[in-house]
Amino acid sequence: MTETPPSSEAYEARIAALEAKLAALEASVGDATARVEWDWKGWAERYGLILAWIAIILVLGAFKPVQMFAWNSYASMLGSNAMVVVLTLALIIPLTTGDFDLSVASVMGLSSMLIAVLNVKLGYPIGSAILIALLAGAVVGAVNAFFILYFGVFSLIVTLGTGYFVNGLILWVSNSGTIAGVSMDLVRAVILTRFLGIPVGFYYALILTGVIWYVFQFTALGRRMLFVGRGREVARLSGVNVTRVRAGALIASSVMAAFAGVLYTGMRGVADPSSALAFLLPAFAAAFLGSTAIYPGRFNAPGAFLAVFVLSTGVMGLNFLGVDSFVQNLFYGGGLVVAVAISQLIRGRKPMDG
Amino acid sequence: MKYMTTAAAAALLLGAPAHAGIDEARALIAQYSQLPTFEAPGPAFDAKACMADKKMFVIPLTNANPFNAAISQGFVDAAEIVGFELRDWETQLDPAGWIQGINTAVAEGFDLIDLQGGLPPEFLQPQILEAQAAGVKVTATHNWDATTQGAPDWMDGAANTDYVTVGQIIAAWAIVQTEGKVNALVLGPDEITPTAPLRDSILGYLAEHCPDCTTKYINVPVNDWATQGQPAVQNALLADPSINYVLPVYDSMSQFIVPAIQIAGSSAKIVSYNGTPFVLDMMRDGDIVEMNVGESLGWVGMAGTDANMRLLCGLDPVTKLNTPAFIFTDENVASAGVPATFNDGYGDVHIEGFKALWGID
Repeated sequence: MTETPPSSEAYEARIAALEAKLAALEASVGDATARVEWDWKGWAERYGLILAWIAIILVLGAFKPVQMFAWNSYASMLGSNAMVVVLTLALIIPLTTGDFDLSVASVMGLSSMLIAVLNVKLGYPIGSAILIALLAGAVVGAVNAFFILYFGVFSLIVTLGTGYFVNGLILWVSNSGTIAGVSMDLVRAVILTRFLGIPVGFYYALILTGVIWYVFQFTALGRRMLFVGRGREVARLSGVNVTRVRAGALIASSVMAAFAGVLYTGMRGVADPSSALAFLLPAFAAAFLGSTAIYPGRFNAPGAFLAVFVLSTGVMGLNFLGVDSFVQNLFYGGGLVVAVAISQLIRGRKPMDG
Repeated sequence: MKYMTTAAAAALLLGAPAHAGIDEARALIAQYSQLPTFEAPGPAFDAKACMADKKMFVIPLTNANPFNAAISQGFVDAAEIVGFELRDWETQLDPAGWIQGINTAVAEGFDLIDLQGGLPPEFLQPQILEAQAAGVKVTATHNWDATTQGAPDWMDGAANTDYVTVGQIIAAWAIVQTEGKVNALVLGPDEITPTAPLRDSILGYLAEHCPDCTTKYINVPVNDWATQGQPAVQNALLADPSINYVLPVYDSMSQFIVPAIQIAGSSAKIVSYNGTPFVLDMMRDGDIVEMNVGESLGWVGMAGTDANMRLLCGLDPVTKLNTPAFIFTDENVASAGVPATFNDGYGDVHIEGFKALWGID
């Protein structure tokens, strides 16, 4: 795809026109939701998830007040979900530009394992191991982008395949084994150091959430990504380099997934070949649930951040109540479907065509 | 004063069985802290002669698991020692691969198929019956418990593991370390065959030998260890900070339990089973993994081969692996290797023991 770069004035004018269209679109979505008699609109729609969170805490707290109303419970929960937040943020970047990245959990596992192999088996300093793991993430993202954009293959299929390929790489580099003994410096930098009682890993996730929120909301890049996701052709005709934006989103996604792997290894001091894959569904559930809050109808960082902890609070409460673990599957799986359904209602039930 | 005397007498009376329980637990720990000795599973026989025209086919649960790979290596080593053909089939935890293995073994005229290391024969009953109809014997090694479970009638044999003793050792360790004041969180994936005997043995031993001990059991399926195991342990520790032992029935769960203990700020210790190398490394390098019950997997493979050869040679069946459990702690964990392996630290009496049993110089 070749695109003549527009002059900057014309370009800004087109972007402004697109923003106006977007505002009109969002207004029309509001009309659509009104047509289905959606009565909790406006701020209730934006902050409904926070209300739901408070409700979950209060309801579960009625049964288990000592645990549910203890700061320590929340400090622990916030600290142990840092990598889920980062993985969810990794997902929402390509989701915003209209691509699914199913390889994020595999990249998280690859990064986690590379750090262990390089640091424990090959004696690399932990800093270098982390850097190489992040670069490996960038490479996977570039491969995803190449197949999706050059060949025009649907992102779901490409990333399903690359994810599976990466799983094989993990088994290969690890010799199918779990590796312990990763530098305690990393463990200290993720969970053993605390601020306000919360392991510092949480704050990395918080900062990253802030950065992505800023980029999405206040930069031209963020707006361009949104345009690309809302309508590739319109964005292209308006002078946005769609290919570059989508490629950048896919690479950023994989690098962030690799960072989630850094946190995952730092949390345990151990890397294993397969467990990271289990985080794909919780991350998707949080990404979609997050898209119903704060900026409803858009994948957004604060919403995703909030969603991870709403879901985790539910799981924590279920643990305190002593319910069987299968209930958590119902909770996450059901949560994903309900979240998607709600976000569809907000979108005015337009088909999701990616 | 009178009240105090009565209270002291009551304490003595109540304390008596508790002390008996602790003494018994201490004896069990002492027994399994000794290096394993070889006890012949049956009478000696001329393995070379009887296996001369026979060949054996081993299908592991998955070659991607070092646990299974180590058992398979034991089979391969035994076959080399005796001098018969043995094929170790490559699988990746996929039923299609297992079925293909059985079909290959039947087509190529193998005499026996061994499903080793947790491959559930129940999943493959039609294929197993088909293989048996073609004259191939089908057995399983290291799947069922030797006393509370057993091979179903349609299997030709099985060399089973003494999971009950393993569970007792884990429980006994916690009793001894706390002087009978265990508050244990026990974890297991209920869908795995050996979980039930291990779980019941740990909980049963604690209930029987430790009147002041309390336990809580949580079932976490294997696929959910990462996503649910850690929060489950973390939240259990937050809900009850007096928990002093976390006892996962399989030690691979430790990687998710250690961060849960650290984040919850608990001082609980982990005691578990399997002797998995990375967990022994965690024991050596940290303070949270306190004890691990292991078994030499090379020995398991050789003992499985022994049981299969006896079946093929028409000898009395062996249904229990003679691989002893062995306790690893900080004191002896270095003997398992740095980094640890599945076979080091147990001694190698089994190699000479089996050679003598099979009539090989």
